[in-house]
Amino acid sequence: MGGMAIMLSSCNLDETPYGFYSEDNFYKTEADAEAAVNYAYGCMNFLEYSRSIFFLGDMPTEALTTKSDATMDNQDINNWKVSNFKTNKTLENFFKYSFIGINRANAVIKNIPKCNFSQDIKDQYLGEAYFLRAYNYFSLVRNFGLVPMHNSVVETLDQTSAPLASDIDELYDLILGDCRKAADLMPVYDAPRLGRADKVAAKALAAKAYLYVASAKEHGVKLYRDMRRDTEEMYDSAAYFANQVITEQHVYGFEPNLLDIYDVEKANGPEHIFMMAMDRSGTSEGEFSKISKMFIPYIDGATIYLKQGDSEEFIPSHDGWGEYQTTQAFYNSFEDNDKRKTHLICDKVYNANGEVSAKYPDNFQYPFSRKYIDPKFSGDKTSTRPFLIRFSDVALIYAEAAGPTAQSYQLVNYIRNRAGLSDLQPNLSMTDFREAVYKERGFELSHEGDRMYDIRRWNRIGEIPEARGMSEDDITFYPIPQAEINLNGSLR
Amino acid sequence: MKQGRKAFEVMLPLIVFCLLLGGSLTGFAQSSGQIDVSGVVVDESNEPLIGVSIRIDGTSLGTTTNIDGEYSIKGIAKDATLIFSYVGMNPQKEQVKGRTKIDVVLTTDATMLNEVVAIGYGTVKKSDLTGSVTSVKPEAITTTPSNSVEGLLQGRAAGLSVNNSSQDPGAGSTVRIRGASSLNGSNSPLVVVDGFPLGDAGDLKQINPADIVGIEILKDASASAIYGSRGANGVIMITTKKAKESKTIVNIRQQITLSQKSTKLDLWRDPVLMASLNNEGRINGGLDPLYVGKVNSTGIYYPSIEELMTTWDINTRWDEITLRDLPVSNNTTVAVQSSNEKTNFALSANYYTDQGLFINDDYKKYGYHLSVEHQLFSNFKIRVMNILSRNVRDNNSGLAYWRNPIFPVYDENGDYYLTNSQDYEHPVAITEHRKQQSKGIDVISSGTLDWQIIPQLNLTTQLNYKYGSSISDKYYPKKYTEAGTFSNGQAQIDNWQGQNLVSETFANYNQDFDKHSLSAMAGFSYETYTERSSGLTARNFVNETLGNENMGAGNPEQNSLSNGKLDTKLVSYMGRVNYTFDNRYLATVTFRADGSSKFGKNNKWAYFPSGAISWKAHQEEFISRLGIFNELKFRASYGVSGNQGISAYQTLSRYGTEKYYNNGSWVTTIGPGYVSGWTGQGGINRVWSGIPNPDLKWESTQQFDFGIDMGFFNNRLRIGFDAYIKKTKDLLRQRNLAPSSGYDRMWVNDGNIENRGVELSIDGIILSTPEWRLNGTLIMSHNKNKITNLGNTLESGLIEDPMTGMLFEYSGNSYEKYRDYINILAIGQPMNVFYGYKVDGIVQTLDEGIRAGLDGEYAQPGEFKYVDLNGDGSITEADKTIIGDPNPDLTMSLQLNLGWRNWDLGVFFNGEFGKDVYNTKAFGEPSNQPLRWTIDNPTNKYPSLRDGRQSMVSDWWVEDGSFLRIQTLTLGYTFNFKNSWICDKIRLYANVSNLYTFSKFKGYDPEVGLNGVYTGGYPRLRKWTFGVDFTF
Repeated sequence: MGGMAIMLSSCNLDETPYGFYSEDNFYKTEADAEAAVNYAYGCMNFLEYSRSIFFLGDMPTEALTTKSDATMDNQDINNWKVSNFKTNKTLENFFKYSFIGINRANAVIKNIPKCNFSQDIKDQYLGEAYFLRAYNYFSLVRNFGLVPMHNSVVETLDQTSAPLASDIDELYDLILGDCRKAADLMPVYDAPRLGRADKVAAKALAAKAYLYVASAKEHGVKLYRDMRRDTEEMYDSAAYFANQVITEQHVYGFEPNLLDIYDVEKANGPEHIFMMAMDRSGTSEGEFSKISKMFIPYIDGATIYLKQGDSEEFIPSHDGWGEYQTTQAFYNSFEDNDKRKTHLICDKVYNANGEVSAKYPDNFQYPFSRKYIDPKFSGDKTSTRPFLIRFSDVALIYAEAAGPTAQSYQLVNYIRNRAGLSDLQPNLSMTDFREAVYKERGFELSHEGDRMYDIRRWNRIGEIPEARGMSEDDITFYPIPQAEINLNGSLR
Repeated sequence: MKQGRKAFEVMLPLIVFCLLLGGSLTGFAQSSGQIDVSGVVVDESNEPLIGVSIRIDGTSLGTTTNIDGEYSIKGIAKDATLIFSYVGMNPQKEQVKGRTKIDVVLTTDATMLNEVVAIGYGTVKKSDLTGSVTSVKPEAITTTPSNSVEGLLQGRAAGLSVNNSSQDPGAGSTVRIRGASSLNGSNSPLVVVDGFPLGDAGDLKQINPADIVGIEILKDASASAIYGSRGANGVIMITTKKAKESKTIVNIRQQITLSQKSTKLDLWRDPVLMASLNNEGRINGGLDPLYVGKVNSTGIYYPSIEELMTTWDINTRWDEITLRDLPVSNNTTVAVQSSNEKTNFALSANYYTDQGLFINDDYKKYGYHLSVEHQLFSNFKIRVMNILSRNVRDNNSGLAYWRNPIFPVYDENGDYYLTNSQDYEHPVAITEHRKQQSKGIDVISSGTLDWQIIPQLNLTTQLNYKYGSSISDKYYPKKYTEAGTFSNGQAQIDNWQGQNLVSETFANYNQDFDKHSLSAMAGFSYETYTERSSGLTARNFVNETLGNENMGAGNPEQNSLSNGKLDTKLVSYMGRVNYTFDNRYLATVTFRADGSSKFGKNNKWAYFPSGAISWKAHQEEFISRLGIFNELKFRASYGVSGNQGISAYQTLSRYGTEKYYNNGSWVTTIGPGYVSGWTGQGGINRVWSGIPNPDLKWESTQQFDFGIDMGFFNNRLRIGFDAYIKKTKDLLRQRNLAPSSGYDRMWVNDGNIENRGVELSIDGIILSTPEWRLNGTLIMSHNKNKITNLGNTLESGLIEDPMTGMLFEYSGNSYEKYRDYINILAIGQPMNVFYGYKVDGIVQTLDEGIRAGLDGEYAQPGEFKYVDLNGDGSITEADKTIIGDPNPDLTMSLQLNLGWRNWDLGVFFNGEFGKDVYNTKAFGEPSNQPLRWTIDNPTNKYPSLRDGRQSMVSDWWVEDGSFLRIQTLTLGYTFNFKNSWICDKIRLYANVSNLYTFSKFKGYDPEVGLNGVYTGGYPRLRKWTFGVDFTF
């Protein structure tokens, strides 16, 4: 009989979610807001995205190649098999995860203003969200050109199909606007915070984006050459923001010791304006990183030891899978005494006693980058983290944008001296100076997922042997993934 | 006490039924002129009938006969009419006309046409059925012990398919009525026990099959639509025991079952042959041979062939170590029932143990069933049913009985002999160190109030409650198990609890006037379901002796916790009207409205109408005059039913939680989108979901059914025929979303499936003499399943077959052996057809291979000669085509019963015909490796042995899976003791199930899962059961 009473009193068929969050029960407190901001950072760590940093940023260049039994999708990128790019899963994942980051940032932008806590913190979180949206759109526009415009969070089926940006200016309006908003809203942290961006990161990103537009327009890159923006104005803006990063704060700066930049224990060092935040104490891949395994070749499964520069110190590491392989041509293109070769690219590995146990080319196939080594690795788990924006990157942006000024020379020479090289030839012309900086970037930022974008904005993809002779349409941008064309109603 | 009862008598109608009926209570008074009547009821052979129901016509008042067939009724009207009824007998009406002694002889009803069958919220006489309903007699099936009744229903009803592909102890079955009509929702029929809708059929372990007295299978829409959004897959109605006889009856039923493998294991018995074939395969694959008398890279010594032939003395019979010779099962049921004029009860207790084929693989269950019915007032009954069941499963199945015989069990130090540090197959080590135990408790309880308001109107309220809980304990040691090695010892405790509360109230109204007969039902139902779960995992144990008993001893940093809950609600209104004119024309209309919380806010309510008409042609003068038909009934029905088989919260927006290493410490992060699954090669890519779909709704199935029931020769031959078309639309599917949305999939309603079929059943009483009895039942069903629509091609991500333009998607799992899927869902095809290459024998020469379009290693002699179907000169994905269909064209069963005096012999054949099985073990096993292609044996039937060959999915592996099984053979003898004070009846019987299977299939057994893919396992068990039933 009791059942009847229940029956009559209750015909409400609405569901109340249990055990999961939704818009209804979230975005209430400051802690909620921070959890939402960190959620937006977090999607970069998934291996669908983090591995693509190198598959898209280095693999298509001459500097990096992959093993012969690598996944076909990754071999296709290496070999510029453009006919397969539309269905390439690595490209599609990078595309998708950039948009996941954008959607998560959009959710923060929409919901944080409604929360009730201190305006300073709100500003910081909002600024971070604008930064992340700009960062992801910048990644997208560099790789894919015109992409769908999602300016607000996707909450219904209708909102899942967004039209393409009408032109490249529209995308840069958003990217640069977000960078400026982010720079205005965020503070400068007292010390670099691993995995979080601040005002400096926003300005650095702005500088990077301005330089990209300036040089791409200057070099006549498709779509960019038709931009409304003025090339010189863009160079000036790049130099302006880079200069702000260099001069108007005291938290970030050059790391004097080259090896320390790549020491996983020094992730809060002054070089690191923005980097990913994996840690070996995580429980699933993405929380921890296996990027080290991607760079190191397979040797014999046992622990290997690497020599620390010129010292007699050796640090241990696991060996790897040999997915990101330095090409011989790139290895040979360094000056012989460049520490970025001698200290950061290994042709020998050692045993615990410091005796050479294997060397290139006898025992492994390629000299490998050791920018991603975690001596405290646990099994496959490491804290090796992709570097997204380094201070040296910004210094070189300034130099390239401002041209052969005294400050530019000073910055470039610092980087060269740190690598054990002499000063750059003085009194270079603007063209030669920019060319020299372009070259320097290739060595300084090697194996950091950046080189491809320099090549793109300098309109030099056609010089990559595998891409030689292909049409501008084929190589300037990766195609929008077929899945997007199939499923985005506004693209059909 | 008396006062309380009085108050209750007044309150009850007032509180409860006034609400429903608006206070329209009708009084009921006793008429004057009463007399007392008594008598004896016997059958045709003058044996007294115990438990005959005697009812005063037009009322629910009555009594039953006692052990001597005697009855007495006090104070009835002189002009009353008594109705005598008994299961299996023709009912008889006697007008009292002032008599005080009325003796009655009841005659046997060969057809059971007057039997009442449960049809959901009421019963109907079998002869008055308008829908397609099949009754199964439980007596016929319970001689074979089973954990749940579904497994026993195989072959027992036309249109019902039961798949028992798993033989592990405690395993359930897969049940389908008239094919599958859903891709992502449930395809299992709804099980209703004593009016309580319990849920999906397949694992009704709570109910002891011995407690079941009636099973009805509701197949067409007219019958199943009364269950609305859960009726699309058909309904299985189960009625449990209630006391009906007035004396106390004690029944003890004991079964012991011994199992044996019905076919030989396919294992290496000759290590020399094994080793030489292994060497051959490795050499052909360009690898160093293993059996050369050297230590391999993991430090294992493999003897040379010569050594194996001469000095090597290890030949471990792993099957003897890991498998039981003769698993024993026990099934004991003790039942007591009794009744007096006001109260009856049935109580039974059951103890069931089942040993699996693998050592230490056990299942145990004990439970009781109690049913009590009490006549509170002359027109008011209460009934309580309660079932409690507890089960324990020690899971040790799947041990590597196929392990290499040259490996010893122990090494020279007495430790387990492991082939390397990642040897996770050592069966003895696993058995002794791994723990996998789960314990469950199930309670099913229902209370029913039954009020005969006026003779024509009956009101029933039933409150049902089901509770299930399970706790599972696991420990995976550091060594010997993969999970344990990875985590340095892993301990788990997982809890689950589900509760189901159903309240149903319905009124039945019956009125006959002149030639019209009307019955109507109206009611409502409210159901809530709550499920909770939690899981604890601890890792990294310093000391393993406690297993999972002290989870706190793990490294706390590596603990993981999970918990979940889901709530669903279902509110329903239902009604049914049956109208009969002149006992010739019958019509039924049903209606149900379901409101379900699982569906989107724009589609909370669903409406399911159905209608049926029937014509009892044998009642027509012009038919009866023919003298052929005892029954000739035509039935036609049409209706809509639904399927709401998705889980809760699919229509809501949903956020995910992750962890982020924020400036040096781990924090929880939350935001839009959550990982609902994994995809891609190796399953490493996340599937993002979380977009709400406020339009999500049930799948809806329209079904048309036409049937004929015929009886000949005084109903000794009966034929039933049904034809149906079942069309399901709005299939619950996940559509793909544009990558730029940040989401991958969301649930939508899109796609259609069709099932068409015919069913035939023939019952015959071939011989019926005082000494000899012979009868048989032949059942045949044919169902043709077809996918007609899979939604928007782009949104569904369908693939186009380049040769035929057929659109399809892969379904199920990718198989490691082929690194490919075997089954597809294709438009215009049945579900789960096989898709792959065709093979035309074996390549004999390189030239032949190249001419066939093969290249590289595939063109070598001894390789599969894949067919270049599209003739483009090379073998590519485009050459794939449909290569098999796992759905049988015909399922058939035959039951024959022979009786001679007290002996009875039953044999039951069951078979499926015209189905394909994909035999992944067709090559590479000890039995078929020696048949390989070699230069000296250039066969066209088997390829060469070559390690590293990547076999592709092809028709070479597809075999005819048709089979005919002697499913059960039963021999019994019954002792009847008349007037013995110790014992009334003893029945002894022996039963063998899976006695023999006729099939061309080369694996162990062709009864594989519904996707038709055979992956090995172990032979079907032939079970010998010895049983005894005592009745006191």
